[in-house]
Amino acid sequence: MTDATIGAGGIEARTELAETGWKRLAMHILVFVIIVGVWELAGVFNQLNDLLLPAPSVIIGKFAEMWLPTFLGGTGRIYYHFFITLWEAVAGFFIGVSIGVSLAVTAAVSPMFRRYLAPYAVAFNVTPGIAVAPLIIAWFGFGLSSKIALATLVCFFAPFINTLTGLLHVDEEASELFRSMRANRQQYFWKLQLPSSMPLFIAGLKLALTGALLGAIVAEFFSASAGVGILMQRFSFKLDIGSALATLLSMSLMGLLFFTVMEILDYRVIFWKRDSRMQAVSKKRKAAWKM
Amino acid sequence: MSTATEAESGALPGLAPASKGDHAWIVAKHFALFFFLVLLWELGARAGWIDPLMFPAPWGIVKQIGFIYFIQGNVWHHLYITFAEALSGLFVGSLIGIGLATAAALSLRFREYIKPYIIVIEATPRIAVGPIFIAWLGFGFSSKVALAALVCFFGPFVNTLTGLLNIDAEAEELFRSMRATKWQTFWGLRVPNSATILMAGMKLGCASAFGGALVAEFISANEGMGVLMSRYTYVLNMNGAFATLLSITLFAFLLFKFADAVDYYIVFWRSDKLMQRKSKKRQAAFLKSLG
Repeated sequence: MTDATIGAGGIEARTELAETGWKRLAMHILVFVIIVGVWELAGVFNQLNDLLLPAPSVIIGKFAEMWLPTFLGGTGRIYYHFFITLWEAVAGFFIGVSIGVSLAVTAAVSPMFRRYLAPYAVAFNVTPGIAVAPLIIAWFGFGLSSKIALATLVCFFAPFINTLTGLLHVDEEASELFRSMRANRQQYFWKLQLPSSMPLFIAGLKLALTGALLGAIVAEFFSASAGVGILMQRFSFKLDIGSALATLLSMSLMGLLFFTVMEILDYRVIFWKRDSRMQAVSKKRKAAWKM
Repeated sequence: MSTATEAESGALPGLAPASKGDHAWIVAKHFALFFFLVLLWELGARAGWIDPLMFPAPWGIVKQIGFIYFIQGNVWHHLYITFAEALSGLFVGSLIGIGLATAAALSLRFREYIKPYIIVIEATPRIAVGPIFIAWLGFGFSSKVALAALVCFFGPFVNTLTGLLNIDAEAEELFRSMRATKWQTFWGLRVPNSATILMAGMKLGCASAFGGALVAEFISANEGMGVLMSRYTYVLNMNGAFATLLSITLFAFLLFKFADAVDYYIVFWRSDKLMQRKSKKRQAAFLKSLG
């Protein structure tokens, strides 16, 4: 299904500069320091309007104030909001993935179900999920459940379509091998379809986690009493842009946390995509077999 | 940034194209199922099993659609506003995305230096910048365009870069052995190679630009589909909210079909029929130039 899925990994392709390791890292840091330095100097010479774009030191100050606990001189107010949003996104993610995967498995097993589901899937995909936000708030109220519901709604589609694609597009030769060995339907599903859907499934999970975070934050914009989204909105409306940008930085942190978790999952689950991991797993299995 | 894939059209995989006679029959069955479900819903609402304040009956929604389109006619203006915002955002966002991708494809160094920033931007839920943009750019049109652009630039960026970099090794060797200059390789090989995947990226961008425009309208605006939707929901006019949602789906779908058509004509070499027509035309032009 190369025509229905797109690869988004171009930046990874062929990035080998001559210098490696420390020198490269040093150059990266240098570029970063120059950018931030110019920005800070602009602040020092009063070229920045604090209502629009405060200097980096201001943003970092606000960031520290948010994150440091009270006994270190900060307010520590971000933790509550941070974990509320984290919880909303993660809960929405798990519900959404369960729905998406069960739909995908049903559709993969039954061509009839797949056929009848198809037009609804298209309609669902073209509607921006977050457009339903006001309805979700009306249905689920102002509490946590509406945020979880929107996160679920926004995130379930990617695992659904990716799992389905992965389950249906198995290697033809492998499929023939299974047939010639007279594999039954269960064996075919568990030993061939499921493993070969894993790379796409994990890719779907990555998109879903980002989507869940997005859904939770958008639902908070509507009406909430806690969460980074509402914090962000309060700061922006008070024109405290420094704090708003510090909140944004905290959201990036949450996003990076999610990204890292997914990378680790990717590394553990799809071991056969990387030679070194593949060898390690093979060795382990061999040792276990000898026993 | 490892491989993240996403279905671009929502068309389900594994659906065998039906023959013409079968097709009509299948469509008829789809409609039958659809009308059965709607009828069930309507009856459920009339019998009082479904709370009309939460899930309005289909007939009410149809009446409301007639009202907002033809009697009151207010929806056109809001549709126009949201479309203008989303499309301007898409234009700005894809200009930025494609520009960055071209620069990154041409210069290994640039690619290397922007990589960490791209990862952070990808991990950040970009829609969360909405309140800041509104604080910066005001409540009008520009803040919506800015948010749509920020949200949508990523699809065109990553896809263009992937297309420009992942070229066929044999074609590249051909260009090299013919001593093509860097620019000839770029225009003659890389750009055509990226066209397919670039169009896929634009379609993704289109969907997210819509989402961005809607969310910016939710946060604060006085016109647009997002505003219409929030207003209807806040007064608990669920018929109106559903009618608005269906309009969003319908017009997003039409836009999607339009993008598909553009895609079909730009990437003409994917369709045999167009390819042959184009080849013949070029051949004729060539013969004419010979005299």
